[in-house]
Amino acid sequence: MLLGMIPIHNEGERKECKGVAQCNDNIYYLRMNAITKCASRLLVIEDDPVLCGDLGDYFRDRHHRVTLCRDGREGLALARDGDFDLVLLDILLPGLDGLALLAGLRETSSVPVILLSALGDEQDRITGLVRGADDYLPKPFSMAELAVRVAAILRRVALERHAADRQRHGSLELAGLRLDRETEQARYQDQPLDLTVTEFRLLQAFVEQCDQVLSKAFLYQTVLHRGYGRHDRSLDLHVSHLRRKLRQAGLHGQPLRTVWGQGYTLVTDTLSVGRSVQTL
Amino acid sequence: MIPGRHSLFWKLVLLLCLSAVFTVGLSGWLMREVGKRVVLLDDSAKVVMREYAAQAEQALQQGGADGVSVWLEQLREREPGDAMVVNTSDSSLSGRPLTEEQRAGLRFQRELDWRMSFRSIRMPYIGVPFPDNPRAGRLVMQLPPRFMPGRHWPLWRTLLVVVLPALLAMIAGVLLYWRAMVPLRELQARVRRFQDDPEARVGAGLAARRDEFGDLGRRFDRMAERVAEVLGTQRQLLHDMSHELRTPLSRLSVALEGDLSERDLRRRVAREVTAMRELVSDTLALAWHDTEQRDTATELLSPAAVWDLVVDNAAFENGWAAQRFPCRVPADARVLGNLNDLAQALENLVRNAVRYSPPEGQVSLDGRREGDHWHLWVSDQGPGVPDDQLDTIFEPFVRLDQARSANSGFGLGLSVAMRAMSRQSGTLWAENNSPGLSVHLRLPACRTSGAASV
Repeated sequence: MLLGMIPIHNEGERKECKGVAQCNDNIYYLRMNAITKCASRLLVIEDDPVLCGDLGDYFRDRHHRVTLCRDGREGLALARDGDFDLVLLDILLPGLDGLALLAGLRETSSVPVILLSALGDEQDRITGLVRGADDYLPKPFSMAELAVRVAAILRRVALERHAADRQRHGSLELAGLRLDRETEQARYQDQPLDLTVTEFRLLQAFVEQCDQVLSKAFLYQTVLHRGYGRHDRSLDLHVSHLRRKLRQAGLHGQPLRTVWGQGYTLVTDTLSVGRSVQTL
Repeated sequence: MIPGRHSLFWKLVLLLCLSAVFTVGLSGWLMREVGKRVVLLDDSAKVVMREYAAQAEQALQQGGADGVSVWLEQLREREPGDAMVVNTSDSSLSGRPLTEEQRAGLRFQRELDWRMSFRSIRMPYIGVPFPDNPRAGRLVMQLPPRFMPGRHWPLWRTLLVVVLPALLAMIAGVLLYWRAMVPLRELQARVRRFQDDPEARVGAGLAARRDEFGDLGRRFDRMAERVAEVLGTQRQLLHDMSHELRTPLSRLSVALEGDLSERDLRRRVAREVTAMRELVSDTLALAWHDTEQRDTATELLSPAAVWDLVVDNAAFENGWAAQRFPCRVPADARVLGNLNDLAQALENLVRNAVRYSPPEGQVSLDGRREGDHWHLWVSDQGPGVPDDQLDTIFEPFVRLDQARSANSGFGLGLSVAMRAMSRQSGTLWAENNSPGLSVHLRLPACRTSGAASV
């Protein structure tokens, strides 16, 4: 299990990368960011001038086009008329409350929305998501945390846009893994894996984007179709089951790896070398 | 819905019934008694009538039939009614024959002591024998209207039929009000006192009552208890949290004043900010659970699988090998719980166990099925806890090592675990092993253990 994880610490304090994973770190980053690096139009509706300015600077530095707005009504008008890829929305706003703004926005627009709130309790979380937010981030949050979620949603939207071009049917193959999209059945070397629907979708996401780090926020968006909460462990449990089923099917060497603090990745090298990788 | 045996309903009904029966009885008896008194001639009437009889006798003795006739004429001027003077065989002594009407009056004549009927329209004829010689004859005359008894009867009747029942009903009303208001007042006073003093409770007398007021009183007590408890916990939490915040804040101040390199400073700030954020979110989670007391949705979970998730993190966080977290719970065990809550509870237990583990120590999960529950326990090989503190370790901000080292946490982990367990109807308690500490969890088991879903 320990070998399966690729610890990557932002502080670089404990870089204990092992085996094959180490040399691939940078490649993962490049691939993960490739799809989201293109300039996106963000609308930030946040009344705290400092946080608002910081958010603007942060995302502009990352080559997004950012529009800042500090009033609820103005924000609603902007979000309705402007052509934005993502809206970052505070809940406590002057003029118009964030949840009301969201309700108003959803009448005409399906632009993805991430709610930010200092209220931070479960009730807000539930109401916020029910009322059509794509994700919810309680304050205080770190910029890195927000950036992961922004990237996850932008990436999901990009994938959905390309979905029309992608092959919807037929099967997907990768080093002995064979996924039949039509029947949602997966096999490893002709042995059925007997996956649940969620596990199949999860494996599909990994196989379609193998060797890329998929953030938890992104996996929640695409596989479980909901925002990722700090204490939410459902995804981890699904991954754990998927690992067990792959292992039972004779796939050794832990191809589904935890990238510490970031998400999961499917390492193709271990698929091809298969049994030769040792587990500690 | 039939009110219970001790309901106030029966008392009120009984009181009302008694008051109704009493009113009717009293009113009827008084009507009879008053009626009896009211239909008799009063003494002044008797004196006047006897005086007339004496005058008639005197007139007969002095003037014979003519004298009587003259006296009758005089009487007619003074009294409006008819009058005659007859002997014992009912023949007229005034020389004038009796009219038909007078004969009829003679037949129905009453004595002075008899009851008068105040229902008849005409005045009754009263026969008064001559006082000196009753055998000589008698005066029979219609009662002068001013002596007619029962003139006050309508007044009496109003009094007895309207005023008396109204008064009695008023008394019953006062009694009812008193019965209802005394406990209500007491409750009102308690509620008012509770506004200032959350420790105020209803008196034993009220709480011991078995009717609705007693119920209300006991409910009030329970509510007061709960409110006081929540207030107390929150006050304590707030107090402890602000106290705990000082530690990272003072460390930050020191770091800012020192001449650390920017890299070191950043790292220090990041570490303290993380600690403070954890503290705030854990405290909020505790306060939230405390006020909500709601149960989360439960599902079938495999403790072994959840342990895997938790160990996955814990192994990385602490740099332990996964083998140091053995799981001896059967893989097919299924409990009824909430994934996030169970994971949070186990995570905090493991974190705590790791903190007190000796080098190369192990933290293990064991479990056995007990009836319709699964009994799981997380054991470490650390020093354990003094027996008298086995319960207190679950209270927020309680740490056994009083020295607040940087990595000892805030003492919230076990309380968060406790709350997470109680939210999914599980229980949590600690026991000492020799050596080490075991924290035990009890969760409902899946009834049909064969149906494995997750």
